[in-house]
Amino acid sequence: MKHELRFESPSFGKRLKGMLGVDFYRLFHTPMYYIFLAIAALIPALILGTTGMTDPQTGVATAPLYTNAWNAIAADSPLYAFSNIGEYANMNMVFIFGGIMVSIFIGHDYKSGYVKQLFTTHAKKQDYMMSKTITCAFAMACMCVTYLLGAVVAGLLVGMEFSGNVGSIIIAILSKMVMSLGWASLYTFLNVIFRRYFGVSIASSFFFGTGLPIIAIGMILGNNLGSVLNIFLYGSSVYACLSATPLTLAVCLVCSAAWAVIYNVAGTQILSKCDVY
Amino acid sequence: MNAIEIKGLTKNFGSKQALKGLNMTVPVGAIYGFIGENGSGKSTTEKLMCGLLVPDGGSIKLYGKDYRDAEVRSHVGVLIESPGCFPNYSVWNNMLLQAANLGIKNAEAEVRKVLKIVRMEGAASNKFKNCSLGMKQRIGIAFALLGNPKLLILDEPINGLDVDGMRIMREVLADIAKLGCTVVISSHVLGELEKIATHYGIVRGGKMIKEMTAAELEASCRTYVALQTKEMNRAKALLACKYSRVEEDENGLLRVYDAKEPEEIVQYLYDNGILISEIKTAKIGLEEYYIDLMKEGK
Repeated sequence: MKHELRFESPSFGKRLKGMLGVDFYRLFHTPMYYIFLAIAALIPALILGTTGMTDPQTGVATAPLYTNAWNAIAADSPLYAFSNIGEYANMNMVFIFGGIMVSIFIGHDYKSGYVKQLFTTHAKKQDYMMSKTITCAFAMACMCVTYLLGAVVAGLLVGMEFSGNVGSIIIAILSKMVMSLGWASLYTFLNVIFRRYFGVSIASSFFFGTGLPIIAIGMILGNNLGSVLNIFLYGSSVYACLSATPLTLAVCLVCSAAWAVIYNVAGTQILSKCDVY
Repeated sequence: MNAIEIKGLTKNFGSKQALKGLNMTVPVGAIYGFIGENGSGKSTTEKLMCGLLVPDGGSIKLYGKDYRDAEVRSHVGVLIESPGCFPNYSVWNNMLLQAANLGIKNAEAEVRKVLKIVRMEGAASNKFKNCSLGMKQRIGIAFALLGNPKLLILDEPINGLDVDGMRIMREVLADIAKLGCTVVISSHVLGELEKIATHYGIVRGGKMIKEMTAAELEASCRTYVALQTKEMNRAKALLACKYSRVEEDENGLLRVYDAKEPEEIVQYLYDNGILISEIKTAKIGLEEYYIDLMKEGK
């Protein structure tokens, strides 16, 4: 008896749509997502709310980190090597916490056995990388928005100054949101590498999120030569400052997209050549 | 065409060689019982077939195509160890998410259909983490059945279940067998497997040592005469002089494997002054066949 079976080939679009549907459903139905949105809003609120407070023991007011509330969003100029914490503590911190969120989100895929269920179907490794990157990039972009809201509300409550070029501020915020894609792809990649070691994946995400390797190079090069660091995610994120121009947005777009492609290809290769579960 | 064709499959975990050139052929429409001791390579083979592990050598073809081919993969349903569900989501939501991954259009109707097959309609709203082991295994089978697969790979779906869970699972597997898809089931519960399998593959030490159909197993399984007498020890000693294999089974019966007719045993023992209180002929089952085969290997 001759058996003839015909199989339909699921298109790339159909596969990705299904996977994105699941990932976004999970994102919106996970308390973790809302917790991280709240954390993103609280960071600038805490920074702006506590800066310049009077020390209850000495009665002396501490030196304020900022005079301009927008500095909680970005530094005045691209400071690859910073001299005080105020030049470092801005919207880039979203990417540190975003890294932890991505680690938890992807770690749960492995803990629950979801990846096992997923990769036994027609799902391709490339689809998985793309779906995670897009979902996590969206989540981090949302964190940027809540961070902005937190900064504005806290700045208004504290009575801080809001001065600066509106166009540059908008471009800086948009540029940082665009960078979410590159950062999300880096974290997805790191979590694919350390998929069996949840703690290591969180630690590595945190380490790269802080931008320490780039800051170290920035210290050597100095801020004038530091623009070469724009080819890295942290460099471009720093480049998105309050003096941003349309070129800044273009640089961030290119850098973010390029790293997203690189990390997705690398992650796909690793998943294809190594045991998944 | 074969549903699965594996040739020379090898897989190493560090210095440990889990599979040593395993060959396996599963015809379309077969219910393939995949048997072997713990650590013999069953789960590794199944994980390789499902694309969860990467082979070090050999080839795996599903319906004549590479096992990684997305076209074929979309028609493979799998339960490896336990279902990959999100513990805080309901069974229903978990099923819908998997249906979305598979791109099933009429997802709700499809989920309802497979939950009915596995007798889980009433538990759809339960959180997955609150389900019993038996329920989780059936949910895993429901996952595997989503999308009307042509090939099902079930890794030890019966193991660890209580009597009631086993009964329900047996009914579920019997229903699945009627659906007409090719099924590969690995299990240690050979008595249950024997009731549904049409083909068998026995693996040991990372190699396939025997593949056969249920009919071939039936023909291979030796007939024996089982008897009981008040003088078991003397009867055993006497029979051992005449027949090459005489054993006492767990029910306290003496089994004589190479006797042609029970009458010759009755006569032989009667001539030696032993009366038989009970005698019958029977065939060894899959479990005993498997144990014999393993003994031979050792």
